[in-house]
Amino acid sequence: MTAFQDLPPPPDYDEARDRAQRERLMAVWHTPTGWRKFSAVNNEIVGRWYALTAFGFFVFAGILALMIRTQLAVPDNDFLSMELYNQVFTMHGTVMMFLFAVPIFEAVAIMVLPEILGARDLPFPRLSAFGFWCFLIGGVFVCGSILFGAAPAGGWFMYTPLSSDPEQTGIGTDIWLLGLSFIEVASIAAAVELIVGVLKSRPPGMRLNLMPLYCWYVLVVGGMILFAFPPLIAGDLLLEMERAFDWAFFDTERGGDPLLWQHLFWIFGHPEVYIIFLPSVALVATILPTFARRPMVGYSWIVLSAVGIAFLSFGLWVHHMFTTGLPNISLSFFSAASEAVALPTGIQIFCFLATLLMGRSVGSVPMLFTGGALAIFVFGGLTGVMVALVPFDWQAHDSYFVVAHLHYTLIGGMLFPLMAGIWYWYPFATDKTMSERLGRWSFWMMFAGFNIAFLPMHWTGVMGMPRRIWTYAADTGWGPINMVSTVGAFLFAAGFAVFAWDVLRPKRNQPPTRRNPWDAGTMEWAKEVPDKPWGCRSIPLITTRYPLWEQEDIVGQIDRGEWFLPDAQEGKREMIVTDILDGRPIFVQRVSGPTYKTLLAAMFLGACFILATFKLWLAAVLCGAGFTATILWWLWTATARIPEKEEKDCGRGLRLPVYMSGNASVGWWAMFITMVGDMTAFFGLVFAYFFFWTVHPEFPPEGTRSPAFSWLTLGMVLLVAAWVLVAGARRWNGQAKTGRARAALALAGLPALSGLGALAQACLVSGLDPTRHAFDATCWVLVLWLGAHLLAGFVMLGYCVARSWAGILTPRYDADLRNSALYWDFMLATSLLVYALLALFPLLSEGGVA
Amino acid sequence: MSRRTFPQREERHDDTLAFICRFTDRRTGGPYAPRGRHAIFRLKLAPLSATLLLAGCSGPHNWLSGAGREAMRIEALFWPLLIGAGLIWTAVMTLAVVAYRTAEKGGTERQVRAYVVWGGVVFPAVVLTGLLATGLLTLRGIAAQPAAHTVAVDGEQWWWRVRYEGPEGPVVSANEIRLPRGETVRFELTSDDVIHSFWAPAIGGKMDLIPGRTTQLTLTPEKTGSWGGICAEFCGSAHAQMLFRLVVMEPEAYARWLADEARPAQATGPGLEVFLDEGCGACHSIRGTKAQGPVGPDLTHFAGRETLGAGIRPVSRTALRNWIRYPEAIKPGVRMPGYPDMPDARLDRLVDYLMALK
Amino acid sequence: MRYPRLIDDRSIWIMVAPSVIWAAHFLLCYWIAAIWCAKEAADGSAPLQPVTWTVAGVTLVALGLIWALARHAWGRYGGSLFITRTIADDRAQERKHFLGHVALLLCALHTLAVIFTALPVLVFDRCW
Repeated sequence: MTAFQDLPPPPDYDEARDRAQRERLMAVWHTPTGWRKFSAVNNEIVGRWYALTAFGFFVFAGILALMIRTQLAVPDNDFLSMELYNQVFTMHGTVMMFLFAVPIFEAVAIMVLPEILGARDLPFPRLSAFGFWCFLIGGVFVCGSILFGAAPAGGWFMYTPLSSDPEQTGIGTDIWLLGLSFIEVASIAAAVELIVGVLKSRPPGMRLNLMPLYCWYVLVVGGMILFAFPPLIAGDLLLEMERAFDWAFFDTERGGDPLLWQHLFWIFGHPEVYIIFLPSVALVATILPTFARRPMVGYSWIVLSAVGIAFLSFGLWVHHMFTTGLPNISLSFFSAASEAVALPTGIQIFCFLATLLMGRSVGSVPMLFTGGALAIFVFGGLTGVMVALVPFDWQAHDSYFVVAHLHYTLIGGMLFPLMAGIWYWYPFATDKTMSERLGRWSFWMMFAGFNIAFLPMHWTGVMGMPRRIWTYAADTGWGPINMVSTVGAFLFAAGFAVFAWDVLRPKRNQPPTRRNPWDAGTMEWAKEVPDKPWGCRSIPLITTRYPLWEQEDIVGQIDRGEWFLPDAQEGKREMIVTDILDGRPIFVQRVSGPTYKTLLAAMFLGACFILATFKLWLAAVLCGAGFTATILWWLWTATARIPEKEEKDCGRGLRLPVYMSGNASVGWWAMFITMVGDMTAFFGLVFAYFFFWTVHPEFPPEGTRSPAFSWLTLGMVLLVAAWVLVAGARRWNGQAKTGRARAALALAGLPALSGLGALAQACLVSGLDPTRHAFDATCWVLVLWLGAHLLAGFVMLGYCVARSWAGILTPRYDADLRNSALYWDFMLATSLLVYALLALFPLLSEGGVA
Repeated sequence: MSRRTFPQREERHDDTLAFICRFTDRRTGGPYAPRGRHAIFRLKLAPLSATLLLAGCSGPHNWLSGAGREAMRIEALFWPLLIGAGLIWTAVMTLAVVAYRTAEKGGTERQVRAYVVWGGVVFPAVVLTGLLATGLLTLRGIAAQPAAHTVAVDGEQWWWRVRYEGPEGPVVSANEIRLPRGETVRFELTSDDVIHSFWAPAIGGKMDLIPGRTTQLTLTPEKTGSWGGICAEFCGSAHAQMLFRLVVMEPEAYARWLADEARPAQATGPGLEVFLDEGCGACHSIRGTKAQGPVGPDLTHFAGRETLGAGIRPVSRTALRNWIRYPEAIKPGVRMPGYPDMPDARLDRLVDYLMALK
Repeated sequence: MRYPRLIDDRSIWIMVAPSVIWAAHFLLCYWIAAIWCAKEAADGSAPLQPVTWTVAGVTLVALGLIWALARHAWGRYGGSLFITRTIADDRAQERKHFLGHVALLLCALHTLAVIFTALPVLVFDRCW
């Protein structure tokens, strides 16, 4: 039934041809050296930078943790001042969550995903590099603030109104909001890339049911990031608008509500826990079969668990708000979901155990770390089931019991599997191995240290110690037990130091490892030793879940260039794009090579956010413009180039087109997925509107008029007209009516911008003042959101017109136009929702409940 | 007012499952341990048996002190949960080791089904359903019970304003809440600045104080004594030192105390002039004097309280002197200005006066 | 040559459908209760019966939809609940089985999750 039944046999092996092909591949995929290395975009290089940077932040946050433990070791300690302690614990949480736990997932995925898929690279290599530079700049900015005593000090959940009142918290909060928003944008970019990577960059033949479990997890986690991060970005926007411009969202005097922040934060914050946890489970799911010497048992059950957890984890957010006085019935729904999420988690673990049972396991350091992870995580899961019960949480919430619980889940569920993964993939990344002896030492030190530090901490919570206190009195009785925790923490840190030393120590004298040192079954181990920058010599047809085990001589076939794309005759970096369900090849995607533009774009964007932190608005806007210009330059010179020929011979008789637009292309999918995330952020704002409507007896409040209906309607008509023009332009362009298409594109901006003006006018004539009441502020922020998007859409229209003039966008080669039209489809949806909310909902609710 | 009948079932539960803590509670004691009949016994044995774990079951802030009905209900959840978690953890780890050890022969498909279906599906589903039901029923039991008294607590940065509705009118106090034993009290919790969280672990669970809302918490203290109270939600600089005392008294003593508390300040003396001269009255109130400041804690019966500075120092002349001179050194971030340059004689008069405000 | 893709084939939707039903049910229950408690029972006194009945209705609808999906996954996709069948053949039919299999499992999981979500209305008769 495969599409590949009648592939012609490969040509006989010819050494000269092989050498020539390898040379051409090398010339194309060669990584720049020296200073130019910073222009590299290759996934292995970027992934390595990403991982090292994330581990750098981990060490930084770990040092902060040791400072916390030192301060708390004895009662009435004065090692840290109150101000510094508050910054230290805030930064510890923030850095661990935002700069380590999520980025390390992206780092590892960028590094290994293409290889596991047998792909040459991810579909958007420059986007990975751009994301990395954003992460580095934003992370250094946020972390650096503590050196100036200006770090955020509001706790990593930044609860309002402590954080929304500039008199309560200083510039640290702005650094937190803007610095992290910047990094979140990079995270979402990486998620988009990974989702598209899993969906569209699979090797030929890899059907959904043959996909390695690692890829399932990456897909699921990417999807979760897409729905979890945007609400926080919406929340960040509201919070920064209140801090910088006094818009009333959280100030109760003006109709705001501090709980809105908690909702938006935790709609992000709880899925975040699983976003951190699942990638590590993915590592276990990859490592375990290797050492159990058999395929994973219950593959589809594990997929079920991943998908089930992904959804259920979005129904848990209020369990962080059990003590906020919400109705008990509401709390109970979330308690129920919090219990339910334990089910798929359990299934997953038992599938792993069943695999061990069926296999003939061999011991190794990664298995040691996996075992430690199991012991720690299961306990954390069990205390999680406890705190999911509302009454129990009324005691445990915000106490050290919860601190212990969350460290058990995160260190057992994330850090230990990650250590296993690093040990496992170290030969993959470096062609060297780590020391078995040091590995065992570091494991036992970390395992013992962790449990000595955190097991007693449950009891510290039972003894009533709340979290986030910088000092306590001796008569509380908390002293001795805290000392035990501190000792454990230092042992844990020492264990990690051993591990870090083993990673970093020079290994020049060590011979390179043999190929596939663990005899694993997944594709990443097909790589050659010493490493080649092109990934796979030729991209094979995959017909099994563990090709290296189940497909005979596949490595030899790959090496001899018997499969697809063995050559780079045109001197282009190429990869095969396949369909989502069955991995049928669709076309050959040309991906871009090394560039400094990504670094430049990240620097402009970083400067824009950093300058905004210091309220240097003009400079920030200029940097924003610089960023836009750089992005346009980058896109203009690298994407959707008209190919020199229509089709290309990929070997074995497979001829594929080299250009596709619309939903066959990866760019279209990236746009689609990005806009889904964008809509989610917009729904965060819609949620804010309904939240205010629910908590206020009158919304709009008495004496406030809704935005003027007539102006809103006019604006709506104009926006629909703009969309019609864009949709028409796409159609006309397809029909080769280029002139008409260009005119429509050029004209569409007019109704779009005047429609935006009409919406603003609707708010103005009703006298809405965002600093007066939450209603006014919410209406304005919706218009602002739409306006910013319309401006971006306007730029896209200009870009398409320019491309059309320049002859790069033609009736046949229309990817840019189709992607822009897709963007405008989303704009239509956003506009309609804004209209429904501002114009129609007030009509409804006046006659209805309120 | 009669004590509500305590449910029989809970009592039994309390006896069987929490016996460890009851036991250690009697033996280990501590400066704030409830004053019971075994005081002498406790004093003798305390140094001997005060190991880490045992100390973990007593103390003014301990969930397991059994000092309140709500705490005991939660404790009745805690022990089965803890023991169950221990058993499940052991079982999972045993299964893991067994699975790992079957290396040579490998498992059978039947075993796999048993692992995944029974271990991964059926057992968790049954246990979780049971837990959820128990949790919901416990929640219904401890939430919003009818209350005999209402106490309004207003969270301030970083102290607690307390208002009682006494028979002789409202009584305002700070950082110390007195309650009658065995009677259910409803706390009405508000805040004007940031979010705080009211937590007296020995008596029951916590509830946040959120600007713009009034949240409620009902507690029923069951043991007399002086218990610890904590702000559990990070509320800015001096969050760590935003404590209070919760003093549980016999109902008759409570009624007497509340009546006393409703009277204006009894003390007079030259210290009052110092108090007014230095501008203390701009922030603090002392009923019956010109000092009517609404900003800081009410000091009308200051010396009748156990602590100052929001639960962080026992009330004593020395502590008070230090506090007035250098509050920032004792409680970094505190809003009260210090008076480091006040002449000793003047400070003595002020302290004399304040210490007389019983 | 056109290749079947996600949008055309309509196969993959069944994998997320049970979860989407759960999510919709969950959010509806939460919103109904939240709006009722905020608008009609702000003092905590009003009875919860209308919410109870609405949630019961929504729950029945959700369970019915999940049941229909399960039948679909069972019948059309040939899904089953086996653990030890690997479903790893290189055939389009097998991929379809796989989707049906996962969908069926998700139906089972979300049936339980929907019932969990509905349990609270049996316990509470007031908002607070």
